[in-house]
Amino acid sequence: MPDPAADAIPLPTLTRPPAPHASLIRDPAAMKALNKTLATEHEQLVTWWLARMVATSHPLAEKLTFLLHGHFPTAISKVRFPLYLYRQNQIFRTQGSGDFDALTQQIATDPAMLIWLDAASNRASNPNENFARELMERFTLGVGNYTEADVRAGAYCFTGWRVDGETDAFTIDQGEHSTTPQTFLGTRGVTTGQQVIDLVTHSEASSRFVPAAFWSHLAYPVTTSDPVVIELSTGYAANRTMSSLLRAIFEHPMFTSSHTATGLIKQPTEYVVGALRALGFTATDVGNARVPFASTLVAMGQSLFDPPSVGGWSANQYWLSTAAALARWKFAGRLAAVADLSPIADVPPTSRVDAAAALLSVPTWSSTTAAALHDASSDPRELVTLALVSPDYVSN
Amino acid sequence: MTATTPPPGDTGLDAVVSRRRFLALAGGVAGAAALGASLGPRAWESLFGGASDPAGALGSPGGPRLVLVTLYGGNDGLNTVVPYADPHYAPARGVLALEPSAVLPLADGFGLHPSMPGMKKLWDAKQLGIVHGVGFADPNYSHFESMDIWQSGVPGTPVSTGWIGRWLDLTAASPLNAVGIGPTNTVALTGAKVQGVAVPAGPIVLPGRSDEQLLYEVLARTTRSEALLLAAAARSNTDLITMKRQLGGVLDATSTGNPLHLEAGTAATAESSLAIADGGGGLASPGVLATQLSIVANLILAGSPSEVYSVELGGFDTHAHQEPTQHTLLAELDTALSAFVDALGASPRGRHTVALVYTEFGRRVGGNASGGSDHGWANVAFVAGPSVNGGFYGQPPDLSRLSEGNAAYTTDYRSLYATAFDRVLGVDPSSFLDGSFPTLPFV
Repeated sequence: MPDPAADAIPLPTLTRPPAPHASLIRDPAAMKALNKTLATEHEQLVTWWLARMVATSHPLAEKLTFLLHGHFPTAISKVRFPLYLYRQNQIFRTQGSGDFDALTQQIATDPAMLIWLDAASNRASNPNENFARELMERFTLGVGNYTEADVRAGAYCFTGWRVDGETDAFTIDQGEHSTTPQTFLGTRGVTTGQQVIDLVTHSEASSRFVPAAFWSHLAYPVTTSDPVVIELSTGYAANRTMSSLLRAIFEHPMFTSSHTATGLIKQPTEYVVGALRALGFTATDVGNARVPFASTLVAMGQSLFDPPSVGGWSANQYWLSTAAALARWKFAGRLAAVADLSPIADVPPTSRVDAAAALLSVPTWSSTTAAALHDASSDPRELVTLALVSPDYVSN
Repeated sequence: MTATTPPPGDTGLDAVVSRRRFLALAGGVAGAAALGASLGPRAWESLFGGASDPAGALGSPGGPRLVLVTLYGGNDGLNTVVPYADPHYAPARGVLALEPSAVLPLADGFGLHPSMPGMKKLWDAKQLGIVHGVGFADPNYSHFESMDIWQSGVPGTPVSTGWIGRWLDLTAASPLNAVGIGPTNTVALTGAKVQGVAVPAGPIVLPGRSDEQLLYEVLARTTRSEALLLAAAARSNTDLITMKRQLGGVLDATSTGNPLHLEAGTAATAESSLAIADGGGGLASPGVLATQLSIVANLILAGSPSEVYSVELGGFDTHAHQEPTQHTLLAELDTALSAFVDALGASPRGRHTVALVYTEFGRRVGGNASGGSDHGWANVAFVAGPSVNGGFYGQPPDLSRLSEGNAAYTTDYRSLYATAFDRVLGVDPSSFLDGSFPTLPFV
């Protein structure tokens, strides 16, 4: 899908890893310089992505990219090279709405994930279980839908998976790949990692796990036994395509219920980008000192391309900390001070509380919030600051 | 809204509370009613602003303090407290085995990882307790489920409250009585009606004019008719004002201090260094834990009434190339924790502080061919503090009798919690734990 405004955001220069034999490793000064470069590139890549989110004319595509980053988390703290995080991000963006099996295959054979879950050092003689376990637990099946024997069998099938040191291409080191046939999820004779991914993504458990995961990201947290998930799973099992799943989620009657309206706390990225877009900021404002988005995200606990673990970010109560409340308040005050508030200022004070709801896409203010906003209606800046930190806006 | 009167229906809460009751409180009507009991900022001021503490909710300066140190990712305990003299150790670990000559010897054939000279000094000063074989009955190899079991204090059915969160709900009823350091909330400090506060790095400067701040307070008030999540969001705003009023002075005054007396460059002070502390995946920046423990030391030494603190360090999930990663992380733990204990021991206000160091699970005894180790079962836990009874507790796992390649647990992890409740926080453990667990005389 063409997205000229977002595609116009210039991509920072991203360093390729030096060859494995490079003398860099024995030169502390060169190592330090490289780490500094990579830290700068990480900051620039975060700015690039946020600018895209602000500029895009296809917000759903960027939102799906963001949600997939949380579903298949990999972090700069271990992957080290922002170039690899960028490559993965482009896979989410260009293939995220398609076939979930193809997406999982693509992510699994891309450098960021190969490094993050140690597949790239996996050897036939005694495999490590990291990728095989997290593939099933976090990405496709959920706990309870596989055994420890499946973890071990799967681990053998992923042995020998490598990133080519010269080209960054996916390769299989045949000398390190186990060819011993494994019994995996009840299927005999499995030998390749691709077969393992194919089996997990096409399993019945996955047809509930994936809809439950994305309903939980978009509406409110559910388990795989929730009636909504059971309903969605039938449609999802038919083609396992993300665009169809998203459509089914948005068209489900429960999606427009009050449960959904107050079902999630906005993740910090959603909060910051949502506020910037609502108040008419543009991509050029992102990264400019007027808008302190990067420090806000860090202070709220969400550093993009650096999730805390393979579990990604937690939800709801995790974000409702006093530290995050302070960061929100500072950010809201700053935004309201520099934004063009004419949509509020140009209407009479008695209409401003409603105008703020329209501006921020809040269906209706709760009575407590409405009372506080009415008291601030003579001052648009104060009104917008309070609206942005209100529980009504902080939640979805 | 008043500070000390429980809302109708909550009068039985200080009685012995069953797990069923915890579950009922975690959501639905009871939870909504409980959230309505959030206190207004004025009430807090009268409760804690002066010398009196009518509810007895918070600690007195110099009283017992509990500091939770959570290591995310599953630290490899067998290479942290090394049974180097056990004839089964080296053969069972293979390439991961540390040389007996490299470890820092303690007693009974155990030694510390070479990166831990500070902890060795604590041991020699009888300020370090080591609990062997800690875990729970059915091993769970998921980071997230295992950590949930640890932080909730409830194995089996998932619950949404933490073991300290329930204590906040039922005895303290103040969000200030448990202080997490960092940007997000930790499950251990989450109660059904009270959430421990989260302290950011640096001074707490509230934006806006004073009249705006008053409106913010109006906004922060919860009403019972609101959805649970809206009420919880409002509560985070209320608690921020409470935190500013009660801890802001100390935090602002000490934000540039160096209570652990660490050399420049060791204790990073940037906000960003806190943000990556809670990982299970990659390496944290050097100084992340020291930064958090500096804030805790500042609060305790200033006489802050909060009784429980929580800090964390991530990156222990060493499936590959374990030794360099673990070395770096254990060195960070060692430097930060030993300096913390020294700093607290030098003041009457810190002397009764107990740090509890734990991780979600141990690692597989046999290494893999990636030079790492996979998810395992039993592990060691540390207790450290100026007044702890140093030494070993519990039974070391038998390395000649592994279970699916894992060291089997010998000490239920809730014995640590029972001891913390009984001997540090001074409350009956059975009110907060589902069952009775022997306490350990480490304090």
